[in-house]
Amino acid sequence: MRLRETVMNLTGILSAVLLFALLPLPATAAEIVCINCHESMPGRLGEPVKLWQDSIHAENGIACNACHGGDPKDAANAMSPARGFLGAPQETSIPAFCGRCHVGVMHDYLASAHGKMLGRGGPTCVTCHSNHQVFKASLDLINEKSCGRCHSFERARLLRAAMQETEGMIVAMDQRLSAYNGKGMDTEGLEKRLFAVRNRFHTLFHNVDVEMVKKESAAIQGDLKKIQDQLTALDQERRKRKLAGAGGISAMLLLALFAHLLRKTYD
Amino acid sequence: MTLLKRLIDWIDVRIGAREVAAKELTGYLLPRNINIWYSMGSILLFIFAMQVVTGMLLLIYYVPDADKAFKSVTFIMNEVPFGWLIRLCHVVGSNLMVLVLLFHMLSVLLMNSYKSPRELHWLTGFILFTLVQGISLTGYLLPWSQLSFWATTVATNSVGAIPAVGQYLVEFLRGGKLVGPPTLGRFFALHVALIPAGIAALVGVHLFFLQRTGISTPPFGQKETTNKWKGDGYRYENHPGGIPFFPVYALEDLRSIFICLACFLGLVFFFPNLLFTKEAFLPANPLQTPAHIKPEWYFLANYQTLKLFPSEFLGLAAQGAAMTLLALLPFIDRSPERHPLKRPLFMVCALGGIMLWIGLGIWGHYS
Repeated sequence: MRLRETVMNLTGILSAVLLFALLPLPATAAEIVCINCHESMPGRLGEPVKLWQDSIHAENGIACNACHGGDPKDAANAMSPARGFLGAPQETSIPAFCGRCHVGVMHDYLASAHGKMLGRGGPTCVTCHSNHQVFKASLDLINEKSCGRCHSFERARLLRAAMQETEGMIVAMDQRLSAYNGKGMDTEGLEKRLFAVRNRFHTLFHNVDVEMVKKESAAIQGDLKKIQDQLTALDQERRKRKLAGAGGISAMLLLALFAHLLRKTYD
Repeated sequence: MTLLKRLIDWIDVRIGAREVAAKELTGYLLPRNINIWYSMGSILLFIFAMQVVTGMLLLIYYVPDADKAFKSVTFIMNEVPFGWLIRLCHVVGSNLMVLVLLFHMLSVLLMNSYKSPRELHWLTGFILFTLVQGISLTGYLLPWSQLSFWATTVATNSVGAIPAVGQYLVEFLRGGKLVGPPTLGRFFALHVALIPAGIAALVGVHLFFLQRTGISTPPFGQKETTNKWKGDGYRYENHPGGIPFFPVYALEDLRSIFICLACFLGLVFFFPNLLFTKEAFLPANPLQTPAHIKPEWYFLANYQTLKLFPSEFLGLAAQGAAMTLLALLPFIDRSPERHPLKRPLFMVCALGGIMLWIGLGIWGHYS
């Protein structure tokens, strides 16, 4: 079990590192030739651009070339295999295609009932997450409408219920970190840690094993608690600052009063 | 005590320190009807000194390099012991300096203290005002955040509206066609060396003028409120029977400084993010323009004026005309009357101008 936990930790961190390595390269529509050409094309050739613009990939600056390869700065050779262009993958290649970045998720998927049905009518990554308009991994993806396309929702409901509490904790912590960030606090380290924990948690979505989810969720909540403790320490630090500030203000007002009274003695 | 007295005696026999103190401190008499507005200058001196000290402390960790500036500011705010306090004091202090300077100018304006022979006081004060605006603008870029990057882009862009030399000036200011690493280098040099030296020198000149003419009597509570100086020769305005600067008015100055410090600490400790938007905590990204970048509160009226006119040039020309009028006010307004209530037309114009400035600022903020 410890080995499995270690492997999961490592894959979570590896995924985090891989994705963070891509994040500092902001993709802008202006500099990517794929978008320049495709967005004005009609039908299935132009549609991916519009879909991508609403995706979690676009939100994080992951553009066309990050998945499909090619040269996004050279229109003439943008789709040249010599420049690494891969095009669209076959259905059975989709997990490996996405798994270049989402390493841990791919392994869990392949080991799951879903993965075992790959190429035999089973779902791939895009079945649930969509292609181009890639949906952010969240519990909302596990719903009766989506799962009901292939099987009953019973088992998925149990899985969702088991993950609900931890997901709620992650979402709340993410919002709290964003709020701190908006106040100038350096949350980069904590964000990276939360990102790794979230990735580890999201890999559980894919092995569709309710018992394992329950067991792993407890460990993940322990890690979240550690991040939460650090946030609480930051809150306490802020409170201390305010107390010191109140002391400073009172001292200044007392000094002002003292100067005023001393001045009066010269009248 | 004996040691201190011996030390003072030692200095006194060499440079006549007691004579200087008697003339410039205890013997420096101020009008009896002096009011709290006369403390604004002392508060400004205190804030300027604080800005110099906090600025020097920030220099220890700040790195004026486009790749490192944002990280170094984040490091100061989060890792350096009391770095957050020093930086917030510097940020709040810069805003407070502009605010108190505006109050100082307003009091001089409404008490008509700029009238002859104090034209040079007003003129040096006005130049100090533009230098303070300059030091604020250049300092705004240094954190190299989205806010600073785009606010500087907008501010430097407007210079381009000047006919013929506009584009050249923009490139000169930026050190290139766009705001980039050379702009940071230029603004850093201006912010930490050239402009502070200019301010310090001009403050010296301003105080020298004050020392030569003596302090003006407030027009309030006086029967005779006309300006008596006829321009016939140099005259020091003394105030026989007045209150000594030291210790009496110095205590009033201290009281004002402590009250100002209490407000200042209130902002630093309880509203530290009042002067920041979310973009202030994102690193500069030349490829991503934020939706609503606004300048600092004291540039909002200028910002809105530029938007109101059909062309940027006209907006700049209107601002230039208003600033020139304000700078040359003592040379234009030659009326000897100093009491504001006896000058209704002047009061209407002055208050109208102030309300217009505030109105444009509010409009700019919500536009």
